[in-house]
Amino acid sequence: MPLKHAKWITGIITLLLIFPIVIGLVGTLLPAFAYFPPLGEYTVSLAPWRNLLSQGEFYASLKLTLITGIVAPLLALWLALSLLAWGYQRPFFRKIEALLSPILAIPHAAIAIGLLFLLSPSGWLVRLFSPWLTGFDRPPNWITVQDPYGISLILALVIKEMPYLLFVMLATMKSIKARESLQVGQTLGYSRFTLWRKVLIPQLYPIIRLPIFIVIAFSLTVVDLALVIGPNTPSTLAVTLLRWFNDPDLTMRLMASAGAISLMLVIVLVLASWEVAHLLFRQLTRAERSNGKRFGLTDNILRLGVVLGLFTLLNAFVALALLPIWSLARRWRFPDALPSQWTWDNIERATPLLMKLTTNTLTIAFIATLMACVISLVMLETKRHNMTDANSSKPHVFDWLIYVPILLPQIGFLFGLHVLLIYLNLNGDLDAIIALHLMYVLPYVYLTLKGPYLSYEEEYLQQANRLSHRPWRNYFMVKIAMLKPALFTAFAIGFSVSIAQYLPTLIAGEGRYSTLTTEAVAQAASGDRKQVGSMAMLQAFFPIMVFWLAQFIPPRWTRWRLKLKQVFHIGLIKKDKTC
Amino acid sequence: MKKSLIAASIVATFALTSLTTEANASYQWQDTLDQAKGQTVYFNAWGGADNINDYIQWAADRIKEEYDVTLVHVKLTDTSDAVNRVLAEKAAGKDDNGSIDLIWLNGENFRAMKDNNLLFGPFSQALPNYLHYVDENARQSLTQDFGTPVDGMESPWGMAQVIFMYDTATLSSPPKSMAELLNFAKAHPGRITYPEPPQFLGSTFLKQALYELTSYRQALSQPADSVNFDTVTAPLWAYLDKLHKVAWRDGQTFPSSAEEMMRLLDDQEIDIALSFDISAASVQIDKGNLPDTVRSYVFTNGTIGNTHFLAIPYNSSATAGAQVVANFMLSPEAQIKKQNPTVWGDLSVLSYAKLPADEQAKFNALPRGIATLSIEELGQTLPEPHSSWVGALETEWRKRYAQ
Repeated sequence: MPLKHAKWITGIITLLLIFPIVIGLVGTLLPAFAYFPPLGEYTVSLAPWRNLLSQGEFYASLKLTLITGIVAPLLALWLALSLLAWGYQRPFFRKIEALLSPILAIPHAAIAIGLLFLLSPSGWLVRLFSPWLTGFDRPPNWITVQDPYGISLILALVIKEMPYLLFVMLATMKSIKARESLQVGQTLGYSRFTLWRKVLIPQLYPIIRLPIFIVIAFSLTVVDLALVIGPNTPSTLAVTLLRWFNDPDLTMRLMASAGAISLMLVIVLVLASWEVAHLLFRQLTRAERSNGKRFGLTDNILRLGVVLGLFTLLNAFVALALLPIWSLARRWRFPDALPSQWTWDNIERATPLLMKLTTNTLTIAFIATLMACVISLVMLETKRHNMTDANSSKPHVFDWLIYVPILLPQIGFLFGLHVLLIYLNLNGDLDAIIALHLMYVLPYVYLTLKGPYLSYEEEYLQQANRLSHRPWRNYFMVKIAMLKPALFTAFAIGFSVSIAQYLPTLIAGEGRYSTLTTEAVAQAASGDRKQVGSMAMLQAFFPIMVFWLAQFIPPRWTRWRLKLKQVFHIGLIKKDKTC
Repeated sequence: MKKSLIAASIVATFALTSLTTEANASYQWQDTLDQAKGQTVYFNAWGGADNINDYIQWAADRIKEEYDVTLVHVKLTDTSDAVNRVLAEKAAGKDDNGSIDLIWLNGENFRAMKDNNLLFGPFSQALPNYLHYVDENARQSLTQDFGTPVDGMESPWGMAQVIFMYDTATLSSPPKSMAELLNFAKAHPGRITYPEPPQFLGSTFLKQALYELTSYRQALSQPADSVNFDTVTAPLWAYLDKLHKVAWRDGQTFPSSAEEMMRLLDDQEIDIALSFDISAASVQIDKGNLPDTVRSYVFTNGTIGNTHFLAIPYNSSATAGAQVVANFMLSPEAQIKKQNPTVWGDLSVLSYAKLPADEQAKFNALPRGIATLSIEELGQTLPEPHSSWVGALETEWRKRYAQ
């Protein structure tokens, strides 16, 4: 990018990012030490911490959070790697890839509700086999969902996270030259799985480390999913904190803030231990990786992962397919596998909402995502300059800062931020909503663009500039044009992230701006599957469309453009002739 | 300044003789009406039920037409979101132009806001419709919101009572007391449950059980920390220990709301559902969410009932408009519409005796849903214990069963 003051711009954007993060943190930190003027608390003390540590529920929730928050990302990573190793570059895998975007696009709460209906004792699976096989006239008293060990919650988390990891991995395949390595490896006689295990995964891991961290932080802090399908005696720490924050006894907020700080510490500790574990794992497997054997027993781990991964995907699709059926159901009782009475009422009731809410939703998502794309391009350009100038790949502070908002638990952090917005008199403004969305969209867009942008062959641009020195035009017509697929994908991801934001929309907009998501979550409060089914469909429609367009447009763009040019030219020629 | 003026004038109003009061009040009210013109009132109310949302929309249209006040329904998933927001505004020193003008609340949320000076008022006792149609002696819950004195800081909107639902196709005679409920659960393991405290219906179930089981009933009207909590509540925990062993999903997990209980009743996972909305069964049958064989009933010795209110935050910029809305909500027109079971079915807070004959006739003509109980059938209403019991019971429950 022929930008002159790239460094300055980066500096300013970095400052703009630091400011809300610091305020959000301070706004959580102070109440955690009992300083909270609105409740008349002016003395700093450790009382909130003493309260917190004397709560048995804190430890029980923490234990559950650690189990679900560590097991889920581990499983998701294992299954995603297995599926990738198994299917990469095979024709049928393209189809599975295309199916990933709906799962990425659909809001967590909707997936959880679909899954709940699939797996519960009165759910679709049991209905399918009742009463002819099981003999059940009524649902059995089993605990298949909301189990105290959090197994169903882990499954829901894996369903949401595995596609994301797979998506990210597929995007990085080019930069580690996977195809070439596979070809070389296979001519050397390595089996596919062994090759992945020994050569590709070790190269892949450092690149996808951040997405993995995001997934871990998400698993540790998720609220909506855990509310629907997680256990409730106790619930995960994030849900327990939400309850404390919302307790009518306002002094509970102090203890809740202390809890939010501990959750942040837990995230840091888990991420650190994860890294240490990875180092240890690498040391332990080093000998095995370089022993030259072309096959290995451990290949079976990947094989098992493929089976489980496919099973998880199947689960996700059935759960998602059931939701639209609910939106058409009038009566659908146990043990009917399909509704006994159908109706359009549910959809009709939801339609006026669609009209009203779509404008808000799309405005916010488009502006926030476009801004995120532009900011990411500027940042990446600066980063590229730094890399070539100083020959050092030391990460800019921005690289880490940008992820802070998504690595922090939303509950405590956003309350602190809300106070800032009120100070600035920005509360309840569309600008404020867009700004907050931007904070959550930017990391994902930046992350998606980073790999392709930095590995771009700069020679093309230089050559173009040598031919005709029009830096801006060439930047757009050559570099950006070549990065189109990555840009479209980044846009699609950012767009769906924006659409799914619930708490930021609610807090910045003070409920005055409803979006499809705030409405859907408010509806989900009623637990009515028919409404949730209709709302989830509407909510998922736009992200799915954008994802589809992101895959559909780039390969056809040039053809269309040329055709358009041709038509235009023919028109001109004809015009000439008539003249 | 404005607030203290209004407060002072209300105090003054009460000090005068009844004749002057009337004249003064109507003069005052005309002032409020004039001020309210053109104002926008952001009404923060739970938005989880379609029929209630539709009712609020109807009220908004009527209010716009009649008083030129714009009512905007801000749909909440939890009333505490609104309490949080007022608190955040206070934290930021935003003492006027707050984002909320009216909140639908009661019980603990009211106490929290009142105790922390987050409310505007007193205002409710000066509303014309309150003066005309509300009889404060008719129900304790009109002046004592879960034991917290209302003091005019919130205006009554509707009344609720706990009801139970069962499917007559699977069950002929449902259990009508806590003791019968336990016996039923023992005979039919896995078919009985209740919402998870601190969900308000779950806490209400605990209060209902405590009321029936304890031998210290009068202690419940005292603050929980002024009595021997352990002695008073011992029978409750002994009861729950037995119930959970034979409860739905072995008492390992609990439904999250009345809506989820009705869904489980429809799925036939459980046999008894409860709700705080007396017309819930009729409304859900109508929507196709329950079979038409479901009926409501109450316990033989009565169930807990309470009143829900509208309150104005201290930093609202449209206090006049908010009062106009609260007053409209208390009008016979709005209360009759609200009690219509196909609209909402929420019980009126007006005194039947104080209504003119034609409005009484309209109340008499209200249809009843097929599964809604009449006022007589609803029987005795048990009072809510002092609001401090909610927190105390919830904390103890979570300590015992959620770790």
